[in-house]
Amino acid sequence: MTSHVTPDSALRGVGGDGDQNGPRHSPHTAAATSSPPATDATALAATPASATAAASNSAQKFAQKSARGSASGPAKTRRPRIRYNRTESRWGYAFVAPALILFAIMGVYTIGYGLALSFARWNGFSPNWEWVGFQNFTDLLFGSKTYAPRVQAAALNTLWVCIAVPVLTIAVSFPLAIILNSAKRFQGILRSVYFVPYVTTGIAVYLAWQYILEPNGAINGLLRVLGLGSLTQPQGFLGNPDTALPTLIIVLVWSAVPVAMLLYLTGLQSLDTSVFEAATLDGAGWWRTNTSIVWPLLRATTGIVFLLNLRDALQGFQIFLIMTNGGPGNHTNVLGLETYRLAFLSELSPTLGLASALGWMLFLAALAIALINQRLEKRAQ
Amino acid sequence: MKRHRSLTRTAALATTLTLGLALTACASSGDNAGGGDGKSLTLWTFKQTHATALEKTAEDFKAKTGITVKVQAITPDDAFVTKTQAAAKTGDFPDLLEVHSRGEDFTFGAAGLLENLADKITPEWDKNYLESVRNEGTVTAADFKSSQETGSKIAGVEEGQRLSVPLTIGTFGIVYANKERLAAAGITEAPKTWEEFIAALDAVKKTNPDNGGVTIGLKSPSTGLEWLMQPMGFGQLGKGPFEALFTDDKSKNWSSENGTKVLSEYNKITPYWMPGSQTLDIDQADLSFAQGKSSFLVGGTFTLSFLNQNGFDTENLMTFPVPPPADGAVKDLALAPFSLTGLSLSSTSKNKDAALKFMEFVSEPDNAKKFSTNALDLAPVDLGADPSTEVGPVLGAMMAAFGEAGPNTYNPGNTSYRPNQYDPGDVGALLMNMTPLAQTDPAQTGSKMAELIDSYWVTQKG
Repeated sequence: MTSHVTPDSALRGVGGDGDQNGPRHSPHTAAATSSPPATDATALAATPASATAAASNSAQKFAQKSARGSASGPAKTRRPRIRYNRTESRWGYAFVAPALILFAIMGVYTIGYGLALSFARWNGFSPNWEWVGFQNFTDLLFGSKTYAPRVQAAALNTLWVCIAVPVLTIAVSFPLAIILNSAKRFQGILRSVYFVPYVTTGIAVYLAWQYILEPNGAINGLLRVLGLGSLTQPQGFLGNPDTALPTLIIVLVWSAVPVAMLLYLTGLQSLDTSVFEAATLDGAGWWRTNTSIVWPLLRATTGIVFLLNLRDALQGFQIFLIMTNGGPGNHTNVLGLETYRLAFLSELSPTLGLASALGWMLFLAALAIALINQRLEKRAQ
Repeated sequence: MKRHRSLTRTAALATTLTLGLALTACASSGDNAGGGDGKSLTLWTFKQTHATALEKTAEDFKAKTGITVKVQAITPDDAFVTKTQAAAKTGDFPDLLEVHSRGEDFTFGAAGLLENLADKITPEWDKNYLESVRNEGTVTAADFKSSQETGSKIAGVEEGQRLSVPLTIGTFGIVYANKERLAAAGITEAPKTWEEFIAALDAVKKTNPDNGGVTIGLKSPSTGLEWLMQPMGFGQLGKGPFEALFTDDKSKNWSSENGTKVLSEYNKITPYWMPGSQTLDIDQADLSFAQGKSSFLVGGTFTLSFLNQNGFDTENLMTFPVPPPADGAVKDLALAPFSLTGLSLSSTSKNKDAALKFMEFVSEPDNAKKFSTNALDLAPVDLGADPSTEVGPVLGAMMAAFGEAGPNTYNPGNTSYRPNQYDPGDVGALLMNMTPLAQTDPAQTGSKMAELIDSYWVTQKG
C-alpha cells in the first residue's frame, strides 16, 4: 500500500484502476453526464482495470479536468443557441435599460470625471479646475518632496498588507473550512459562529477592536492573567509603531476569513466524494488527502480568495481610517487612506486632483494584478 | 403581435418615466436652503457642542421675528467637508454655515459660494463684536497676496471681502488639570513655568501611577504641535525667532540650534503621557480625562463644553495656559483670543435678509452671552469686567489668560508666517515620532520637520 498519493493517483482510483463497480455518481458527475464529453468520461471511468493504458490515461486526464471543473464550476458545455423573437428581445432590452442607463450616468460619467480630475488641481469648491497635465502623477511618484515620500511610505505599508492579508486569510480559512466540513455535529451552528465576523464587520466592530487593543484593553489584560506580562503592550497594540500595522493586518484577516471560509466550503462540497474514497483506498491519511488532493483541486478557489483579498488590501482604507487614521505618526498609512486624506482631510488644499491620480494608479495596480493572476491561472490549467 | 408591440411601448414608456423620476429625485432638491419665503432658514454647523446652544438662540429668534432657523450638526470634519463639497456642486448650500474662521469661510468665499458681508454689516452691528476680533473673516492685503501664490487654498478671494462674522472666540494651549489629584500631590497653584508644569506632572504621576499622565488627541497629530509645543516654543524663543522656525532659512528653522532647543524642551514631557494617547482622537482624549484616566488634558477654551457635556465636574478643574520655560524669552506669556468659528451667509440663499437678521441677532450682547452660557464657549462680545458672572468661574478664569496683541502674546490664529500648503497634520506626525513614540531624537526630528516645511516653500515659490 503506497502512501504516496497525488491527485493523479487518486483519480486513477476513480477512473479505472481501482473501481470495479462502475462509476460513482456524485450530483456533480451526474450533471456532467448530460453533455457528450461527460458521457465519454463516464464510459471511460467505467473501464475495468484491464483496459489499455492509453484509454486509462485519457480517462485520468478527463476525470482530472472534470474534478477541477467541479471545484471551479461546472464543465464547459456547448449549448444550442436559443433564438428570441423581436418582441422578446425588445422586452429584454426594456428591462435592462434602467440598469444600463444608470450605469452610464453613475458609472461611466463618474469614471470619466475622475479621470479628468486626475489631470487638474482643484479643492472641490472653486468653479474652475486648473489643468496641470501629468504633474499630479509625477508629484506623487517622485516630483514633490511633500507628497512623494508620503506615498512611498504608504506604498510600502500597502505592500505588506497586500502580501500578508491574502496569505494569512488563506492559511486560516482553508484549514478551518476543512475542519468545519468534516464536523459531524453542530455544523450549521459552527458555520454561523465563524461567519459572525463578516456580518458584524463595520465601524462598530472596528471601534470595539480599538477598546480591546488599548493599553488597558482585553488583550493586555488576558496576557497579564496568563502570566505573559512581557508580551503586553504598555502603549496598546495600536500605539506602538512596531505592532500597529501587524495588528491591523490581523484584524483585516479576522474580517476576511468568513467569506474565504465560505468559498472554500462551497468548493469542498462540490468535490467528487469518490476522489476521497479512492484516496482512502490508496492509504492516504487526513494530512496527505488535504495537501495532495483537496488543496490542488481547490486551486481555483484559492486564486479567487487571494485575488479578492489582494484587491481589498490594495484599495481598502476604512479600518485604517477608523482605528489609527494612519498613525501613530503615519506608521500605518496605506495608499487607500492616503487617497482619502488627499481628497477630504487636507485642510481644504487643492489636492482632489492628486487624490484622483492616486486612485487611478491604484486602479492600474489592481488591473495589473488581476491580469497577472489570470495569466497564472491559465498557465496552471 | 400588435398587442406585443403596444406592451413593448408601454414598458419603454414606464422605464423612461421611472428613470426620469429617479433622476429628478437624485437631482438638487434645493431644500437645504430655506424655501425663499423669508420665514425659514437652515444652518449647518460642524460642532456638535454648539448645536443645542444655536437651537436655543433660534427659539429666541423665532419668538422675536417669527422666522424659524433649523440647525443641523454635521460631524466629523471630513463629513462636513464632503457634505459641503456635494452641496457646492449641486447648488444646495444652506442659508447659513458655522465655519472655522479664516478656514472654510475663505475657501468657500474664494469659490463664490458665500456672500460678501462687507457692505451689509452696519456700524451698530459691528460694534457688538470685541475690537480684537472685529475684522476676523475679512480678507486682508496679506491674505490676498497669499491667495495669488501657487497651490493656495484661497485662490479667488478679493481684498476687503468679509466672508464671515465671529461666532465664538478662544484659543488653544489651555491645560486642564484634575484639581483634587493635584491637591493630593501637594499642588494647589497653577504652574507658571514649563519646569513647574513638568514637576507637577511628575508629582501627580507619583501619587497616581496609573492615571496621573497628560493626554491630548494625538490621533490628529497637529494637536501636540499646535496646542502644546508651539505655545511653549513661542515663550522660549520669543515672537521673531519662533516664527523663523517655519522659514526655509537653515540657520533659523527647525533644523537649527533654536529648533533643537525647543524640541529638547518639549521632549521632557515624554515620560508623562497617558499610555495610548497617540491612538486617541480629540474627543476620545477629552473623554479619557473626563473619565479620570488621565490627570491633565491639553486643549482649548472650547474643550470645557465637551468636558461639561460628558459629566466632568467643572468645580474640580484647574486650568492654566501652557507655560513658557523659566529662562525663556517671554516671561509673561499671554494667549491672544481669536475668532475660532464664524457665521457665513450662502450666496445662493433665497432668504438673505432673514439670514442677516439672525446673524445680527446672535451678535447682540444679551443673546451672545446666553449662547456663551448654553454652549460653554466664548462669544465674541464684551462680557464685562467680570466674565465669570456670565460664563462661570472656569471659563472666566481662562479669559484671564488672554492678552492684548503684542510681542509677549502668542496668537495661534496668526499663521501668516507659514507657507501656503503647510499641513500641521504632517508636521505633527513627524513631531510624534519624537514624543511620545521615541523613534527620533530632537535633532533628527528638527531636520525632518525642516525638510517637510522646505518642500511647502518650494511649491509655493514655484
